[in-house]
Amino acid sequence: MKNTLKTFLIAALLFVVSSECLRADDFTDAIMKAKKNLFAAMTINDEKGIVKSRGEFERILQLKKQEWIVNYYLAFIDYSIGSSAMSDPSNKDKVKKYTESALSLIDKSILVRDDFADAYILRYALQFNRWAYEQDKMADIIAASEEARNKAEKLEPDNPRLYLMDGVSTYYTPEMFGGGAKKAVPMLEKSLDLFGKRVEKEAYYPDWGKEMCYGFLTLAYLKRDDDGDKKLSSDLYTKATAEFPSSSFLSGYIKKEMEKLK
Amino acid sequence: MKIFILFIFLSLSVNLFGQSDSVKTSVVKGTVKNSKGKLVEGANVVIEGTIDGSTTDEKGFYEFETSKTGKRVIIFTAVDFGEKKINADIEPGSTLILDVTLSNTEFKTDEITVTASSFTSGENSKVTLSPLEITRIPGADADLYRAITTFPGSNQVDEGSRIAVRGGDPSEVLTFLDGASLYNPFLFGDDYNTSSYSTVNPWGMKGINFSSGGFSAKYGNVLSAVLDLQSYDLPQGRGMFAILGLANVGLSGVYRTNDGKFGATFSAGQFFIKPFLEVNKDNTDFSPIPTASNIGGTLVYKTSRTGLLKYYLNYSYDNMGIRNESPTYSGYYLGRTKNFFTNLKYSFAPTDISLLSTSVSLSTNNRTDKYGVLNTVSNSLYGKVRTDFGTPVSEKIDLSTGIEYEYNDAKENGKAPVYFYNMREEAPYFNLDFLQKTGRAGAYAELKYRLSDNFLIQGGVRSDYYTLTKDAVVDPRLSVVFRFTQHSFLKAATGIYHQFPALLYFLQGNTTSLKPEQAIHYILGYEYNRDNDFILRLETFYKDYSKLVSNSYNYYNYTSDGKGVAKGVDAFLKIRIKPKFNGWISYSYVDSKRTPYDGANTVSADFDITHTLSVVSEYNISDYFTVGATYKLSTGKPYTPVIGSIFDAAQNAYIPIYAERNSGRFPTYTRIDLNAQYIFALFGRFAVAFLALNNIMNTSNLYEYSYNFDYTQKKTINSSNFRTIYFGIGLQL
Repeated sequence: MKNTLKTFLIAALLFVVSSECLRADDFTDAIMKAKKNLFAAMTINDEKGIVKSRGEFERILQLKKQEWIVNYYLAFIDYSIGSSAMSDPSNKDKVKKYTESALSLIDKSILVRDDFADAYILRYALQFNRWAYEQDKMADIIAASEEARNKAEKLEPDNPRLYLMDGVSTYYTPEMFGGGAKKAVPMLEKSLDLFGKRVEKEAYYPDWGKEMCYGFLTLAYLKRDDDGDKKLSSDLYTKATAEFPSSSFLSGYIKKEMEKLK
Repeated sequence: MKIFILFIFLSLSVNLFGQSDSVKTSVVKGTVKNSKGKLVEGANVVIEGTIDGSTTDEKGFYEFETSKTGKRVIIFTAVDFGEKKINADIEPGSTLILDVTLSNTEFKTDEITVTASSFTSGENSKVTLSPLEITRIPGADADLYRAITTFPGSNQVDEGSRIAVRGGDPSEVLTFLDGASLYNPFLFGDDYNTSSYSTVNPWGMKGINFSSGGFSAKYGNVLSAVLDLQSYDLPQGRGMFAILGLANVGLSGVYRTNDGKFGATFSAGQFFIKPFLEVNKDNTDFSPIPTASNIGGTLVYKTSRTGLLKYYLNYSYDNMGIRNESPTYSGYYLGRTKNFFTNLKYSFAPTDISLLSTSVSLSTNNRTDKYGVLNTVSNSLYGKVRTDFGTPVSEKIDLSTGIEYEYNDAKENGKAPVYFYNMREEAPYFNLDFLQKTGRAGAYAELKYRLSDNFLIQGGVRSDYYTLTKDAVVDPRLSVVFRFTQHSFLKAATGIYHQFPALLYFLQGNTTSLKPEQAIHYILGYEYNRDNDFILRLETFYKDYSKLVSNSYNYYNYTSDGKGVAKGVDAFLKIRIKPKFNGWISYSYVDSKRTPYDGANTVSADFDITHTLSVVSEYNISDYFTVGATYKLSTGKPYTPVIGSIFDAAQNAYIPIYAERNSGRFPTYTRIDLNAQYIFALFGRFAVAFLALNNIMNTSNLYEYSYNFDYTQKKTINSSNFRTIYFGIGLQL
């Protein structure tokens, strides 16, 4: 009787462990699938597809596993939708809606795991969107940007997305405020260099940004316009489109901006 | 082996059990709409505890297959909506249709946020006055209260920060901060011919609501207008900002811990106008030259997911002397004020949809006045405990309720002249040593009923009991808003309002028979508001005053027999053309009459300023360079002329004989102010330079009339606000 009970208990334990493993696999499969769908939609700038994949991530939350990374992706999606809306000034409400949602989600993510550098990088990036609807809180925005950036740098000084965000914000900041293409180039170059060496710790960790880095460095070279910059820009764009052939960001936004700068 | 077999058995049995749950797949489908019946795209639908679900398409439609059957909870969410859970029984092989309506949560851009007579700024409202606008209004000197006076219905008192609203006295306006009553939030608030400045930092406020009438039952002990302020909760980051100006220096900062649980803010300012006077060649005879200090801040701690403990503190000090020549005495009028305010507030959500907050506040005000024989020290203390609770009671009805108790004492010590017309140092005087105290217990309940998406009714009642006079009052209040097109609203409000007379009247009059003053408001208005880019407001109001405190001119006699009426029209037009132009025009017509002390004919009230016009414009020359101009024009305020005098041999002074009260009027008031701001980088940091040119036409506006010793010659005392230049720089540290 004693042995039967022991056998049953061990079997039950094995069952519980194996079930958890199965559940973990459910989670990994689900998040990988959602991530794939998300980046497929982002590549072709399909907002409906992005919203659909947002739903997938929300549903993954129901698994109650690693909610911090799921919330990160939800925040990232809201950031992306908010950022896309920024090109149209009449979309201020939309920018606010998605940026505020993203800030709340990234805070939830940080609350559970406070040592994930990418979460702070996203928080840093989100501060730029706040300019679109609450310039009143200028000092607050500047302070929050610096805080998030410093935290990210401390946690992971070699994260390419950190320098990508530095480069993009510097590119758009007027020269009189310490910005401009000239200053953005080394940041974006550093970012691209780091992307080349980057291997994410887990397959489902964020790996976005390289295509964006190519695009902004292409523009920054063109805008800096030092000797040889035009060729650098053109070569880089060719390389970028070869690596990301279906990128609507490169073929749409970057191409259009290049035309303007030529 | 046995274990392995058992394990296989267990796994199979579970799988079989699982499969018994999903012999046939079922379909769940339906639509998701918002409360206005509009289809919601991008809403997420999921069976709780699973990843089975779907996202709604552009038609708000969703559909998914699931093997999870039986009693299940289905969750519906969308970015700007509250979560909705529905219990459903999914039968194997069946199709379940669930059509769901989600309610908006945080982003209420489609909800009615308009109320009668109010100008609101806040995170979730249609902003009409933002901190940035406040700092950019020429002539407002980055002062919240002065900015408000560019809106209709309110007038500056002595070109400073104190406000008189719709023909009422400045004392009829009360400031609330995080639920606490904020008394005397001014520097130089009571000084002779010196404009007051507010101690409230607009950048520290997340919500600003100014209501010039018809306000909610949550506000007690206030007769005419309410400025309701909510300070920021947790700051977002860390940083400091410094300001160096011609008349002041300031430093402010914010801090937040990495875990986002604790935050702090501080601001400190020193006001010293000597360089300002020298640059502007101002020969006003000050001694001492006005100086002021202000320091304050908040400490915030997040105690739980919804719990927040917030501590607010502010201390201010001002000191000045200005020469004043009265018929019997020529010398410096010396005034000094110390003001302290502190508030501790705790709020949390007992349920997902309700909010409970409690605050405990304390404020003290110490005031010294010296002029000739007058030498008084006044101390007042206010303590208040307040609890508010708000919750929806149904999808359409929200309930707010609360209780409060406020304690107030006032002491007055020193010397005051026996005969007001003799201010000489050796004149006969009273020795003052008075103390008076009172308490007020209040409670309110209010329902906000959304009859439809376009029709909102808010009705409430409050009651207050005053311990000193043992008077109880009951104030019912009602307001309605009807939206008849997307941007057009009709608004109406009415209600009874009471305010207890200042304790000073009880002290000076040596009486306890004064009653709470009463006003009944009636307001009807129209507003067209197109996303805050184009606003047109027209409002008419009628205020019926009774039991007003009235006093005799010559003696400290007070009664509660005063009556009055204030009626008028406010008009407001605001146009914003992004990103270059922002401007507004406001006009008010007021007819405010009151019965004087002796109960004779009704006369103009002290702030019966018939016509007031303000034109404010700001133009962004570039993203970094903004210029602005403000033009103000108003009817001169009433005053009581002296028409003769009688010689009092005992005092060797003349006793003035007055005409009918407020039968004279000051000349028309007019002023044009300009300003400019330039944003740039300094030491790689954000910086802003600002320039203000006030009263650019150097108009001599009247402060008061004075008289020679026997009142045969009238002298004009002009306001000390003549043409000035002020500049400074702000730098992010």
